[in-house]
Amino acid sequence: MPSLADRSPPILLLLLLLLLLLLLLFFSAASAWKKDEFRNCEQTPFCKRARGRKPHSIPSLSAADVSLSDGAVSARLLPSQPLRQATAGDDPESDRDPPRPLLLRLSVYPGGVLRLQIDEDPSAPRRRFQVPDVLLPDLDNRRLWLPRLSSPAAGSSSSFYLADGFEAVLIHDPFEIQVRWKGSGEPVLSLNSHGLFDFEQLRAKKNDDEDWEERFRGHTDTRPHGPQSISFDVSFHSADFVYGIPEHASSSLSLRPTSGPGVEHSEPYRLFNLDVFEYVADSPFGLYGAIPFMLSHGAGSSSGFFWLNAAEMQIDVLAPGWDDPAAPAKGRIDTLWMSEAGVVDAFFFVGPEPKDVLRQYTGITGTPAMPQEFAVAYHQCRWNYRDEQDVAAVDAGFDEHDIPYDVLWLDIEHTDGKRYFTWDRVLFPNPKEMQEKLAAKGRHMVTIVDPHIKRDDSFYIHKEATERGYYVKDATGKDFDGWCWAGSSSYGDVLNPKVREWWAEKFSFQNYVGSTPTLYIWNDMNEPSVFNIPEITMPRDAIHYGDVEHRELHNAYGYYFHMATSNGLLKRGNGKDRPFVLSRAFFAGSQRYGTVWTGDNSANWDQLRASVPMILTLGLTGLSFSGADVGGFFGNPEPELLVRWYQLGAYYPFFRAHAHQDTKRREPWLFG
Amino acid sequence: MGGRLRISLTISCLLLIWISASASIPSRESLGIAPQDLSYYKSDVIKCKDGSKKFPKEQLNDEFCDCPDGTDEPGTSACPQGKFYCRNAGHIPLTIFSSRVNDGICDCCDGSDEYNGNVNCPNTCWEAGKVAREKLQKKIATFQNGVTIRKQEVEKAKQAFAKDEAELSKLRSEEKILEELVQKLKEQKERIEKAEEEEHKKKEEEEKRLKESETKANELKKASKESSHDSTDQAPELHNQDAMEDHHDSAVEDKNDYTTETEISDNQAVGKVADDHDDTIAKSGHEADGRSDGSSFSHVEKQGPVSDSTEGLSREELGRLVASRWTQEDATEENNEVNTAKEEGHEHDEDESEENHDGYNSDSDEDHKFEDDDLEDDPHTEFGEDHEEPTGAYSSDEDDKADYSDLTVSGSSSWLDKIQQTVNNVLQAFSLFRRPVNISEAATVRKEYDDLSSKLSKIQSRISSLNEKLKHDFGKDKEFYSFYDRCFESKQNKYTYKVCPFKKASQVEGHSSTRLGHWDKFEESYRVMLFSNGDRCWNGPDRSLKVRLRCGLKDELADIDEPSRCEYVAILSTPAVCLEEKLKELQQKLEDMNTSQPSGHDEL
Repeated sequence: MPSLADRSPPILLLLLLLLLLLLLLFFSAASAWKKDEFRNCEQTPFCKRARGRKPHSIPSLSAADVSLSDGAVSARLLPSQPLRQATAGDDPESDRDPPRPLLLRLSVYPGGVLRLQIDEDPSAPRRRFQVPDVLLPDLDNRRLWLPRLSSPAAGSSSSFYLADGFEAVLIHDPFEIQVRWKGSGEPVLSLNSHGLFDFEQLRAKKNDDEDWEERFRGHTDTRPHGPQSISFDVSFHSADFVYGIPEHASSSLSLRPTSGPGVEHSEPYRLFNLDVFEYVADSPFGLYGAIPFMLSHGAGSSSGFFWLNAAEMQIDVLAPGWDDPAAPAKGRIDTLWMSEAGVVDAFFFVGPEPKDVLRQYTGITGTPAMPQEFAVAYHQCRWNYRDEQDVAAVDAGFDEHDIPYDVLWLDIEHTDGKRYFTWDRVLFPNPKEMQEKLAAKGRHMVTIVDPHIKRDDSFYIHKEATERGYYVKDATGKDFDGWCWAGSSSYGDVLNPKVREWWAEKFSFQNYVGSTPTLYIWNDMNEPSVFNIPEITMPRDAIHYGDVEHRELHNAYGYYFHMATSNGLLKRGNGKDRPFVLSRAFFAGSQRYGTVWTGDNSANWDQLRASVPMILTLGLTGLSFSGADVGGFFGNPEPELLVRWYQLGAYYPFFRAHAHQDTKRREPWLFG
Repeated sequence: MGGRLRISLTISCLLLIWISASASIPSRESLGIAPQDLSYYKSDVIKCKDGSKKFPKEQLNDEFCDCPDGTDEPGTSACPQGKFYCRNAGHIPLTIFSSRVNDGICDCCDGSDEYNGNVNCPNTCWEAGKVAREKLQKKIATFQNGVTIRKQEVEKAKQAFAKDEAELSKLRSEEKILEELVQKLKEQKERIEKAEEEEHKKKEEEEKRLKESETKANELKKASKESSHDSTDQAPELHNQDAMEDHHDSAVEDKNDYTTETEISDNQAVGKVADDHDDTIAKSGHEADGRSDGSSFSHVEKQGPVSDSTEGLSREELGRLVASRWTQEDATEENNEVNTAKEEGHEHDEDESEENHDGYNSDSDEDHKFEDDDLEDDPHTEFGEDHEEPTGAYSSDEDDKADYSDLTVSGSSSWLDKIQQTVNNVLQAFSLFRRPVNISEAATVRKEYDDLSSKLSKIQSRISSLNEKLKHDFGKDKEFYSFYDRCFESKQNKYTYKVCPFKKASQVEGHSSTRLGHWDKFEESYRVMLFSNGDRCWNGPDRSLKVRLRCGLKDELADIDEPSRCEYVAILSTPAVCLEEKLKELQQKLEDMNTSQPSGHDEL
């Protein structure tokens, strides 16, 4: 058969060659990580707008009716002066109705925590989403009752007690929040010092022609509620470095500036839980988890800031001089926080020591769950230990070589067609016996349970979820149907406490056939990962419990799933057996439910290096029980790399070797 | 009977517990020390075995590691390098890592490794030992029979080898004679042809002259054209007939070759398409720097010039595409699971068959394929492979024999003499100087030439296949000689594995076959057969297979596994590795086990 080129005129041939060349270039450029598959700030309207603003360039808001009510400070935020005419210009969506006032509330918690909440007033067309079940349930009971509010300078600001030695100040016009030392008045933290606070209020469509839809890679986000982003600046005074806001792969523990003098073009740090294939070792792009918590540290003191918001977030760390190149600020770090939706529910932690900041943060989101002893030992994992014989052989290999190990893991292939809670009947005919054999030597087993549920009418979990309406819905109201390991799949709506309870029941020994008391669980793909949707995750206009849009809670989906699983194990053991659940996705508070790891890393030295700042960052943001795949998930480590990785891995809080199914076997004794 | 046995067993167990309770709990000094080492620890000051230090006897087993090699802590877990000896009366003594001492898990069947009271380890040595002894006895029995069979096999192999060598040398001398004869006939044939040609020319010229004398030039031209056309047409036809005759006595399978060749043009086209298809897969895989873009499979490529564009894919295709990044599999495959129906599995099968076999559909195709493969090599290297039968282990020997029967059976000198005679007669009978050429005589020469050259080529191919065979290493005693013409099969789930020693190994699923490797060599002193350079894995290594040989009475292939992607292992039981030395070793071991039994058990 003659090829096309044989018959074509030379010009066409030339064009074809050129195309081929371009394709080749394209492939070599985008070798592994597909950068263009993920939205960058330019392609994300709320980020692009917020990032393009200059300090004090937008109409400012001022605090009115500042008062104490119910032991907290409340105020209304209104435009400082009558709206200037035609401010639209560079801001396409600023052509708004005269804004309704925003409601501001400041409250104080023991130990040096100031909470700032800003939301729309009740007349808004829709209630904005407030992330539930992340803050400790008793937090409200612990709130300090503010006895009085002082307004020293002729009503231009109001200050109140925050902690011994610290006070909080609400500057009225333009409104600004400050946390400062009481005696010296030295600022510690402040919000809106640069006038970048912007709150897109919900509204009706201006006219029917107005286009709220957003398109990315062939997919349309209907955005039925229109623009609703929030952005503001936060300053860390007396800070030389800032840390935190996982998860990003980086060679540096401190967050490098992403904007301002001396920074070549860089994306902001993105917080958007994603299943990123072969992520690169140094990039501000978002990975599997999100904790919008930043710590600062300087010669003088440390402080922290946490924004409880589960929508897509982008955070710029601004290099000194970003606001005024002529006079770069010394010992202060400014940051710009941008989120697609939700409310302002932010916490200021006064420090002043790093450990104080952490104590203050975990005081509201919880401390790490106490792991079982076996969980801090060495874990052996691989995609996949194929069958019971393989499991027995690996187990025997450790004994034979006198290598201690405590947990053997089974990845997705152990299931019957990726129906979690089931076993492949041929490969694992006697799962109980297999676990008991391990248990006889004091060892444990972990199996994987992912959130995608195979759409198979004969699968009881799918049947139940469908009948009870427990699935996340798509924008049209039908059960969302996406593609993952199991093929066509739906996803439990774990925002709904009832669904979480139902899910937790699935882990009882009775329901999870073939499970034993020494079996624990691994939650993977819970970003959630959806293979056939842009950015490999659920569409933002999917609908959750209480008419919440996926965009509003995306970053917390994996957290709720982790929570449900962990509670399932707790129930299974009648509250007497501490759960062990490894999760890939995480959010603030995940530390209460188990451990996390840094996902699908690769077998190279850069990733070995990056694992250290990544795991330290997780530790700094409360998730102290974390680790990285020893050896690197993708690819084959050379023996030297594997040895070094084991040496480092011994110091990971969570110490597990894992490998992709295409890699060569690498149980530790195979290298002589 | 059963009851009595149970009672006596119970008694013996009680006895054993009593024995172990009274006698086998050693003092601190002797804890974990093998009897033959006890004298080493007698003195008051003991040397570390590695010579690095000395320690006083009080520090023996004091839960503190003094010697880096663990000499001072044979009975505790204090030294990381330590070894603990359990006597295991009734079973075999065992030396375990000292990390197992008092770790809460019973390792020694006599329970001696757990003495701190945290767990109670019952003594199970008698039962375990009994099982072990029985197993060992069985193994010994197998070896005893196996050794006998092996001896016979080795004898047979030696004979077969000698026979093959003899045949080879005989064939070589026959080849020489035949070559000469064929050469003579060829010369004669050429002379005849030359003569015929001259005659033909003359005739033509005469005809031409006659025709020229006729009036209509046009008709004349036409006629001559036709005749020349005829003659060119005839040549290939003749050739074809030659070819047919060449093969006329070589039975069906050669005819098959002929027919396949014609059929193949069609199949080739199909194969070509499949090839192209594969190429795109392979290329895109490479372009994407190996693993990263395993997703670019053909139908996506075809969708548009920028293959990375996911637009225009169905949601399912997109899902598979993304999944395939992790799995590195063709996205038409459904991740080893079966729900969305067998159709998909089927699709996959076909894909695979295309991938692996370039559009191989039938046996005749395979014949063709092998010929192609071997063109640059010896054309008969893999002769016999096409005749595999679906039995567990089988031989293609019979086919071989049938093919060459006319040669081997009639391989006597009388046969050759006869031929020589015939040829000489033919050559003499034919007179070159008679005109016109005697047609029947010329035909005789041709026929004789065709016959003989066909015979010659058969002999030559037999020689080369014998050469190919004899160049291999068949083991110390040529014990693997019979393996050359045999294949071993094992069915595991949906796959059938075929292992043909000295040739190749493959995995067959339906019509698709994947080559696991070509014969490479023996390893570990003939205990492992290695096949390497098999079909390439998707973004992975070339497939390979290690077949571990184990003593057994029958040749049986079993336990095929793929511990690492595309690296296969299997076990082949065969008497060929039932070695006498090993038998003696096993007998010695059994003897040791029996003597280490506690005396109280003899009454059983």
